Amino acid sequence: MTAEERKLYVKIQATEQMKKLMTDYYIEAKAAEGTDRPVCWITSGGPVEFLIAMDVIPVYPENHGAMCGASRMSVELAEVAEKMGFSRDLCSYARGDIGSAVTKGGPIGGLPKPDFLLACNNICGTVFKWYQELARYFDVPMFLMDTPFIHNVKTEHATEYVRQQCLELVGFLEERTGKEFSEQRFAEVALLSVEAVDLWKQVLITAEHRPSPFTCFDAFIHMAPIVTLRGTREVVDYYKLLVQEMRQRIEDGVSAVPEEKYRLIWDNIPIWYEMRNLGNLFASNNACLVADTYTTAWAVDIRIDEPLTSMADAYTKVYLNISIDLMIEQLLNLMQRYDADGLVMHSNRSCKPYSLGQYDLAREVTEKTGKPALIIEADMTDSRVYSEAQVRERVEAFIESLG
Amino acid sequence: MTDSLSRLMELRDDPFRWARDWKERTGGKAVGFFCCYAPEEIIHAAGALPVRITGENRVTSKSGAHLQSYCCSLARTSLDMALTGDLEFLDGTVFVHTCDTMQRLSDIWRLNAGYAFHGDVVLPVRFEGDAALEYMREELASFRKRVSDNIGPVDDSVLARSIKLYNRNRGLLAELYRLRREDPGIIPSDEALWLVASSALVEKSEHNAMLEEAIAGLKGSSAKPDEKVRLFVAGSVMDQWDFLKMVENVGGTIVDDDFCTGHRYFDAEVPLDGDPIEGIARRLTDRGSCPCKYLPSSDRASCLLDRIGESGARGAIFFQFKFCDPHSFDYPYIKKTLDEEGIPSLHLEIEHDSVSTEQLRTRVEALLETIRGC
Repeated sequence: MTAEERKLYVKIQATEQMKKLMTDYYIEAKAAEGTDRPVCWITSGGPVEFLIAMDVIPVYPENHGAMCGASRMSVELAEVAEKMGFSRDLCSYARGDIGSAVTKGGPIGGLPKPDFLLACNNICGTVFKWYQELARYFDVPMFLMDTPFIHNVKTEHATEYVRQQCLELVGFLEERTGKEFSEQRFAEVALLSVEAVDLWKQVLITAEHRPSPFTCFDAFIHMAPIVTLRGTREVVDYYKLLVQEMRQRIEDGVSAVPEEKYRLIWDNIPIWYEMRNLGNLFASNNACLVADTYTTAWAVDIRIDEPLTSMADAYTKVYLNISIDLMIEQLLNLMQRYDADGLVMHSNRSCKPYSLGQYDLAREVTEKTGKPALIIEADMTDSRVYSEAQVRERVEAFIESLG
Repeated sequence: MTDSLSRLMELRDDPFRWARDWKERTGGKAVGFFCCYAPEEIIHAAGALPVRITGENRVTSKSGAHLQSYCCSLARTSLDMALTGDLEFLDGTVFVHTCDTMQRLSDIWRLNAGYAFHGDVVLPVRFEGDAALEYMREELASFRKRVSDNIGPVDDSVLARSIKLYNRNRGLLAELYRLRREDPGIIPSDEALWLVASSALVEKSEHNAMLEEAIAGLKGSSAKPDEKVRLFVAGSVMDQWDFLKMVENVGGTIVDDDFCTGHRYFDAEVPLDGDPIEGIARRLTDRGSCPCKYLPSSDRASCLLDRIGESGARGAIFFQFKFCDPHSFDYPYIKKTLDEEGIPSLHLEIEHDSVSTEQLRTRVEALLETIRGC
């Protein structure tokens, strides 16, 4: 970090705690390989509470993909998959993950081998095809949680279908682990999950304050525990710490971007290999990305009195599983709530459900709010398609246009 | 060539001409659909004409404002057709989820193309298990109700009649494929595949009549000696007629396929006993599956391998559209399976806005050389 960069960035103290949490988690997960403790690879939108309640270690290839991307190791891993015949046009998380599975490559020497797989298609259809390939490669069983897409109307039979699959999943896990599912333990986990989600929401909401105590680039880093470990006590403790620090910042008048002048909303998965540069680019132009559509995806509601039904409902309603009309509503809501001056959309070659429709979303948001939108063409981890000079030029022109 | 066959072949130059004429003739409604998992029988029973849209070779002018360049050309050119007014004859459109791209295209289409009726049938991705089948029945029944409310009544007896017409069509197309497997010389590949594709553009009872006559004509034809290399072709939509002609010209002939505008379109029939909606659901799960569906008990690679064996094909071509995620994910493992069985194959990827049959020719020739050398 240069002195110039240091001026633009106020370090979040809780980061060390988060790093420890994630390191401990990965050490535990890696140590479980080959032992009696089952390891399950799960998609980022999957109902992890079931795994935690059954004492299964959840492992997230998408989180690992983000790590590989941030350490700029994704391309070499993706190239392994491409040599195996996987098209360069496929999701770069999937390519990188397949490459890492084969070579044990990446910043932590690959993920522990799964005993079984849990794919939930509430984020995309890609995860189902990707996990099918993993099931073939590792020769392990896979459970597909199929959450029907919501084109404006959420039907009762869709909720019932997902609820039935939750029950099937319980049977699947009982068979794999040889353990009996405990409703009481599940309720405890669900409660911890709700608590962590609630704390995470409180963290995100602190950015409503002007100036904002953190940026979405911070949120992208600090979301790791809510994605991977919700349902555990440690995560609740961690977010208590983080929310406290953010509130303290507000009290002390500490802002994430020293001279916050513009407040922007980010859409889509981060450009992991470019996070620091982008963070600096916006900060040096006095722009703070105060909220995003990505990290809010883990703010799902689960009702403790009816954990199964409400979980089926919550996991079906996530941002990527709803129509463009409903996405517009949520975007407008974010724009208003965070008092944003504009919208920055990452058109992500790797993610069609997130990216197709962005042109319409951008037009609609501008029409309804009068605020401009910028669309950046990139990929979340495949840096070969990224043009730094072009993005810099466009971001600077965009911020200039904000007046 | 029989009258019927030549009449159907003429339609290829203007695929929606028949639908426009039918509307003028009958005053009925035309409903577009994209994916062959769409329950056409329900639309047909309501008195409307289901018309399949699968894009076309064109350079897009209007869809670029809605869809990124990394979206497949099936979606991009279809939307362009709608936005430039080429699909003005449509009274509605139906989407059945299919894949991530079609799921988003449905919204973009509804918000921008603006046809009176918009039907989303969110079929399950899981095609096995009681919960999935129950959900599918409910979803189909709910679609039937929306069609009844917006297009025309769909009572059991009319629906049963439509199902019989569709089953008859499936039986005829299956017969066509059987005849061609036995004697590929009776009809060129491009014509055989057009007979299937045209079925999704023409009202079924009329298509049946033309198909019956065409097949009777083929049965009487004496085939030329079979010297061509038998090939199996797999992909999603096949609408590249020049490509198919080129394959024949360089000495190949397609004896069977796994396209959703080919074998998958007519595979399996709706059981006639019991509830018609239940029957439609059962056929959808019984027929050869597309990579978008999850059927853990059946393996696509072994299914394709079996069909390649039965067809007598000596090689395979994977023909797909760029940016098609489901097919791209399945390709490496199916290719590996074919390699292990010693079946040479070729992988081709095209886009509707830049088709170059000439560039593909040398690659097809190389495949034929390999096969002849085996």
